[in-house]
Amino acid sequence: MTDVAAAVDRLIGGDKATLARALTAVENAYPHAAELLEALRPHTGCARVVGVTGPPGVGKSTLCNALIREWRTRGHRVGVIAVDPSSPLSGGAVLGDRVRMHEHDQDDFVFIRSLAARTNGGGLAASTAGAIVVLDAAGMDCVLIETVGSGQSQVDIAGVAKTTVVVSAPGFGDEVQALKAGILEIADVLVVNKADLPHAEQTARQLRIMLGLRDAQRWQPPVVMTSGHTGQGVDQLAEALQEHHDSIVTDTPAATQTHTVADLLRKLASEDPYVRHLGIEFITGGSGHASVRMRVQPSHISFNGTCHGGALFSLADAAFGLASNSHGVVAAGIDAHITYPRAVKVGDVLTAGAVEETRSRRFATYRVIVTRSDGATVATFTGTVATVGGARPGAPQ
Amino acid sequence: MHANGDGIPAKVLVTKIGLDGHDRGSRVVAAYLRDAGMEVIYTGPWQQIPAVVALTQEEDVDVVGISSLATDHLIVPKLMRALRDAGLAHVRVVVGGIVPDDEVSMLHENGVSKVFHPGSSREEIVAAVQQLAEQARCERPEI
Repeated sequence: MTDVAAAVDRLIGGDKATLARALTAVENAYPHAAELLEALRPHTGCARVVGVTGPPGVGKSTLCNALIREWRTRGHRVGVIAVDPSSPLSGGAVLGDRVRMHEHDQDDFVFIRSLAARTNGGGLAASTAGAIVVLDAAGMDCVLIETVGSGQSQVDIAGVAKTTVVVSAPGFGDEVQALKAGILEIADVLVVNKADLPHAEQTARQLRIMLGLRDAQRWQPPVVMTSGHTGQGVDQLAEALQEHHDSIVTDTPAATQTHTVADLLRKLASEDPYVRHLGIEFITGGSGHASVRMRVQPSHISFNGTCHGGALFSLADAAFGLASNSHGVVAAGIDAHITYPRAVKVGDVLTAGAVEETRSRRFATYRVIVTRSDGATVATFTGTVATVGGARPGAPQ
Repeated sequence: MHANGDGIPAKVLVTKIGLDGHDRGSRVVAAYLRDAGMEVIYTGPWQQIPAVVALTQEEDVDVVGISSLATDHLIVPKLMRALRDAGLAHVRVVVGGIVPDDEVSMLHENGVSKVFHPGSSREEIVAAVQQLAEQARCERPEI
């Protein structure tokens, strides 16, 4: 009898052996895999999932290695799924992607797993989506997926990654042509790798021209030049990934005004030492509303073994503070009340959404609902602010 | 097909520890196992023992194959201890390459399942690794 609940607790607590076995269970569709994934789902939603694809030989693995290094310098925990092809004849596979990532083998905050594509033809293993759930629940800030070298139509990656990176390289002239037919359409970020080689700029120019032929879209994929080998440009790639991540979390069909309010709120959240200390992440916001997210850490736990009420209050209060400061004038909380109908555990991913209920010249009231990833309400909060200052410098009017 | 009894391919780490860089043998064996339907993690030479333990755990392999041509088999007992300390006692370890006859028993005493000498056939290697993988699968914790 497999104790799925105990395994979930160990996995969320950071046990690598359980993480490895959970990935195997998902990969091989063991009988308890579905139950396990269901139990892990409430703990997911925090990881940014980045897929890397492109023709064989453009340096995907080496680029992934450099990107992991860049993310580690930014303090992120990184999970990697490296997919290699299986032989259509024997079913066997040699999984060699991690050869190029070996500098991270002994890093406790990097977990690399090789998957054979087995019979799946879309450039991924069939179990990839499940593996992402497992790594996300295990607390990875970033999940990186390297596909098998893809030519034109292996576009499965766009279905599972939040951000898709399509990698090319100079000297792949015909492959650049091929890109436009298939995988160019799925690119959120385009990379010209091996930028230390001649003609890299020319390859980048070709890609920019092809992108220019497309209909104008809300997100225009940038073309970033990198060298996975020297590390050149990898910080710009990380920035481009961050910008795309920000663009999807604030993806609201509102007018430009909302986007500028969201920009203000993101800036306020990023400049708030307390919010950053607790690991609270801004998701979205606009005039009179805001939502934020937090994964419950071991340091958020009280002596009762569940999430400390103060931590929940802080999360709700962060959403409250942002929503009440969304009008461009400085507002300060003067009263708040919270109810905790449900206990919260380590590893739970919580979202707090604040909505304005009343607003006068002097006062405004807000209701905040804190939910777990499975939709359960874990806290409700009401708060009042007083307008204490004039217009905030730099705020949209 | 040489999948395990449950239809799932055996997963094998093929690696080299120590300072010897002669990796032709390990590449040939990796190809044998692949062609027999197994999934092989291949690392190249000069791996450190803690890295091999980390890979064995992260990749959740059934068998670790150590290629040794220049006395690196003498540090295999250290690897066996490190695997046990990491809770990976169910993983089977095989050594292939140049191992003097009077040192084979030392490897077995330290938990090595099988030693392949020069001249071992493809069939012999594949069959032994397959059988050891099935044993490891039976002993490994489910989750």
